[in-house]
Amino acid sequence: MNKELEHKFVTELQDNQNIVHKVCTLYTNDRDSHNDLFQEITIQLWKAYPKFRGEAKFSTWMYRVALNTAITLYRKSKKRIDTQDYESVIFKIKADEYDETEEQQLKLMYKAVRQLGDVDKALVFLYLEEKNYTEISETLGITEVNARVKMNRIKTKLRTILNP
Amino acid sequence: MTDELELLKRDWQKKEAELPKLSYEDIHKMIWKKSSSIVKWILIISILEFTIPQLLLFVPALEETMQIYENIGVSNYLFALSLIIYAVVLFFIFQFYRRYTEISVLDNSKNLMKKILRTRKTVKHYVLFSLSMILVTIIIMLVGVYLNEDITHIVPELGDKLEKVSPDKLRMTLMLTLGIFGLVFTVFMGGIYFLLYGLLLRKLNKNYAELKQLEI
Repeated sequence: MNKELEHKFVTELQDNQNIVHKVCTLYTNDRDSHNDLFQEITIQLWKAYPKFRGEAKFSTWMYRVALNTAITLYRKSKKRIDTQDYESVIFKIKADEYDETEEQQLKLMYKAVRQLGDVDKALVFLYLEEKNYTEISETLGITEVNARVKMNRIKTKLRTILNP
Repeated sequence: MTDELELLKRDWQKKEAELPKLSYEDIHKMIWKKSSSIVKWILIISILEFTIPQLLLFVPALEETMQIYENIGVSNYLFALSLIIYAVVLFFIFQFYRRYTEISVLDNSKNLMKKILRTRKTVKHYVLFSLSMILVTIIIMLVGVYLNEDITHIVPELGDKLEKVSPDKLRMTLMLTLGIFGLVFTVFMGGIYFLLYGLLLRKLNKNYAELKQLEI
């Protein structure tokens, strides 16, 4: 029975591993931490798996566990990008002001998103994954109105970073 | 801006192709690895906090200390106190266990953080309780020394040398030593505790504050 459960879990996770990788990409800065966080999320998913009754889709259920692990349970061994990086982004934006190719813009946006706080990052992540505000608010435990307000603030924040 | 975020969204979805691909074996190996989550660390630290003070009672050198309690004439009071302490410690362990089982990764993020912080609070109360019990013990001993008539008799090993010192001076010295030792020890333990949890939960506290702030 246990073997069966194990097999089912690993197969499902393997099929949906992209979700976990994407969370790891947003929340870590190097390969080692990426793998570290991936492993922690996998452990938490497996520990919670017996309680997964299939009311939701496996992938929907994964978002919650993966984000909770990243924002709440996981202890980073390395410091997050510090202010120095932030300065360099600003600097770079000014230098590239007249060369706004799509590629450049994307690069800056990714960098800006990575500098957001853990909770803001979770919001952006769910937004990028095309989750609606109901799902976002349920995952984070805030009201839908608050989720919208917060998302608007993040948009403003990103805008100031991109257009100083 | 919305357009820019849409641009990001499109690219984000395109990027999926570049993500690493782990094999069945890779993932299978991971599920039996040890977790290093904050919750686990809180559990480990708390268990240590519950057990270390108890283990200290078994250190042989402390038998001599017991003798001192008797010499001071406070051993009965301290015995009564320790009974109370054990009852309260049991209550705390039960509370802590209950809090710990409440924590579930399936909760929403805010609730999960709230529960972890609540568990931490239970442990914090326990530590404050232990620290104040150290102080109470010291105070009982101070009172004991103060009321004791035959002061040289408390530390018999030093008896001969002490006969030349006036009893009042000796009493003061003994009380001062005890008092300072008690305070330093309490502050030291308190410092270790705050350092430990302060560092462990800094991130969590920050994220929780961020979510909480939205409620206003």
